[in-house]
Order: sequence, then structure tokens, then C-alpha cells
Amino acid sequence: MNTESARKLRTVVLLGFVITVIGLLIYSRIMAYSLAPTMKPADFHGLALWEIPIAYLIDYFSHGWICLLFAFVAAGLVYEFVPKEAITKYMGSGKIAGYGLALGMAPFLTVCSCTMVPLFGGVLFAGAGIGPAITFLLMAPSANILSILLTGELISWELAGVRIVVSIIVALAAGLVISKTPWGRAIEKEHQRTVPTGQTAMELIKPPLDERLWASLKFAAYLAKQILPFFFLGLIAVSYVQAYLPEDIVGTYLTGVTGVLLASVIGGPLYTPTLVEIVLGKGMYELGMSKGALLSWLMGQPYDVANALAVSRIAKWKVVLTYMIIAWAGSVIFGLLYGVLSGSL
Amino acid sequence: MRMKEVKIEVLGPEPPCMRCQAAKKVAEKAAEKLKQAEISVKVEKANIMSKDTVGKYGVLVSPAIAINGVIKFMGRVPSEAEVEKSVKAAVQKEA
Repeated sequence: MNTESARKLRTVVLLGFVITVIGLLIYSRIMAYSLAPTMKPADFHGLALWEIPIAYLIDYFSHGWICLLFAFVAAGLVYEFVPKEAITKYMGSGKIAGYGLALGMAPFLTVCSCTMVPLFGGVLFAGAGIGPAITFLLMAPSANILSILLTGELISWELAGVRIVVSIIVALAAGLVISKTPWGRAIEKEHQRTVPTGQTAMELIKPPLDERLWASLKFAAYLAKQILPFFFLGLIAVSYVQAYLPEDIVGTYLTGVTGVLLASVIGGPLYTPTLVEIVLGKGMYELGMSKGALLSWLMGQPYDVANALAVSRIAKWKVVLTYMIIAWAGSVIFGLLYGVLSGSL
Repeated sequence: MRMKEVKIEVLGPEPPCMRCQAAKKVAEKAAEKLKQAEISVKVEKANIMSKDTVGKYGVLVSPAIAINGVIKFMGRVPSEAEVEKSVKAAVQKEA
């Protein structure tokens, strides 16, 4: 077979795979087949200690594999096909474009944490200012495509939608506020002179479609390899939470105003960039956590410690502290608001 | 004949992320191969977050690879063949 037709064949096979994955998800939707684990806390009674995680994992993966497969494949595809050079070109060009792109593009580019902090630095140094850089930084982890897909599939699409909207508001607010503070301005000034002069020398090489598809699947596999081990451990923890955490404790502490406050405080430090928070959140929601508390639990991510440490190397601690406080306040305010509006506080 | 020298810069964050290390390995392997074709390649690592790099190339998605000061790959780990090909193209352009 000559290389031309081999290429075509590979393209067809890879496209077929992608379409099958999407089709599986749609099929499961049409058939109203649950992709989330179906075990209820009561099901765990009578199981031995070592049986609990096994039963839960089997339950989880028998349902969740379609959803996980779809999420990873979608993240890989989006990352590969999103026009990166357009983003990097305009991201540094001005404030409004910077904010817009930070909000619109961060979710797609940053499924991998190793792209996030460099981009934050790049946006800042290129002269777009501290505002868009912070907006980007906060938007990226709280509403990236993987976590939104999983929130939607595992918990509810209503919550996923709310999560996106709240992330936008909080990220934008933090960016705008920090760009007005004296310490935010100091950093902006410090980096101002590094604005690149003229056009950047960039002649990207576009590989053919089959190679791009293959690359995106490889990236999906890379993401899965990074995330799944922690996801696994997280699920084991969740199974014990579901089995042993008494419902009245959850009902007492994770509802109402206390619930929102508590969820927002434990959500941050506990956050691992591994989507575990979604499963853990779902587990506690089933045990009686209110919707409001669940939202602030999920919104707790941007002020996690690892992220803050990486950023503090570029920006000053004052900036980090400011955005952590804004993110925390946002998670509390919107947790309460959503709780009241949805009638589940 | 004088050996032609080509500079490959692998741009990634410091400390390096896994995919940037993979990109560097690809560049080094390609450099080895190109040596046999009488093209000497110098592979360098540059910090994507340093002011110099941003000043020169603007905002980048890591990992990125620049050949003779022109960004050729961004946000992905290319194959060895791709790197070889674009190095050869750069050599031809110089000549």
C-alpha cells in the first residue's frame, strides 16, 4: 500500500473511533442509561471493609467508562484542534481581547496544568496586564472542559452550567479587582517593558489530519495516565465516605449557611487536579449535602495551595492572597445564592 | 565542506513538565540523526516564563520548539521525522 492510501485509511479509522465514542455517549443519553455510579449508601451495609472499594469501583466503571472515555477524548481533540497560535497572538495584544480570550479559551487549553502557569506568565510578560492573566488563571481550573463534562455527566448539567457562569463572574471580578490594586499595578509596571516588538517569528508546521487525530488521542491517553491513578484513589476514598459517613452528620454540617462555609473551606485544600472533587461532591450530595454547599465545594478549586505556590513565583504573595480571597468569597456568595435560588440550602 | 549549524530551542516551563521533556528528547534524537547528514544541531532549553523568551517569542503554549529563532511547533510533541524535516528546510533556506 502506498503512503497516500495508508494515510487515508488511518484517518478513516481514527475518525471512526472518535465518532464511535461520541455515538456511545449519545446512545447512552437516548437510552437514559445512567453513567454515574448507582450504589446508594445503604448498599454498602453488610460489606466487608475490603469489599467496599471493590464493589464501588466495579459499580463506577461499569457505568462511568463511557463518560470518562468521552471526556478524555474530547479534551484531547479540543486541545489539539483549538487554534493555539491565534490565541497566543491576541492574548498579549490588549486588555479587552485579553479578558475575552482568557474567559473563552482557558477552559479548552488548560486540561493540563503544565500549560497553565507558563501561559499565565506569558500573558503577563507580553503586556496584556495582570488582569487578564489572573482571569485566565482562575478560569482555567474551575471550568476546564474535563471537569465541566464530568460535572454534567455525573452530577447534573444544571450544576455544570452554574459552575461555568460562576467561574466566569469570579474570574473576571478577580482580574478586574487585582488590576486596580496598588500591588497588582506594581507587578504590571515591573513587566511592562518586556512587550515584544513587532511580529513574533512563527511558522507553525501543520501535520496532516491523521497525525493530528492520532496526536489528540495520544494526548487524551497522556491526560488519562496523569489523572486516573489519583481518580482511582479518590474513588476508593469516596466509597468509604459513602459507606461510613453518617447521613445525619452530612445533613447537619453540610447544609445551610454553615454547609456552604464549611464546603468552601475544605474544598480548597482538598482540591487535587484530578476530578476527584466531582465524585466526592456527588457522594456527599447523595448523603444529603445541599446544592448550595455542593457548588461552593466545586468552586473551591482555584485557591488550592499548589497552584498558588506556582503563581507566587511570578506574582507577589499579595496578589496571590487577593485572588485567593476573592475566589473564596465568590464560592461562598454564589454557593449561598444558588442554594437559595434552587431551594436547596 | 563546513558543517552547517542549526539551533533548536525547546521552550518549556521551569521546572520542566513531562511533555516538555519528551519534546526535548525528540529534538535531541533528531539532532543525533542529522549529524550523519552533515548538519550539526545545537539543542538548547529555554525557560518559557523568562522575560527574554516572552520578549522574543510572545505568549506560547508549552512545549514549543523554535528552529533558528522561528517557532515551528507549539503545544505538542512533534515526531522526530517532523523535527528533522523542518531542520533540513531551515538549512536549505540559509543556503
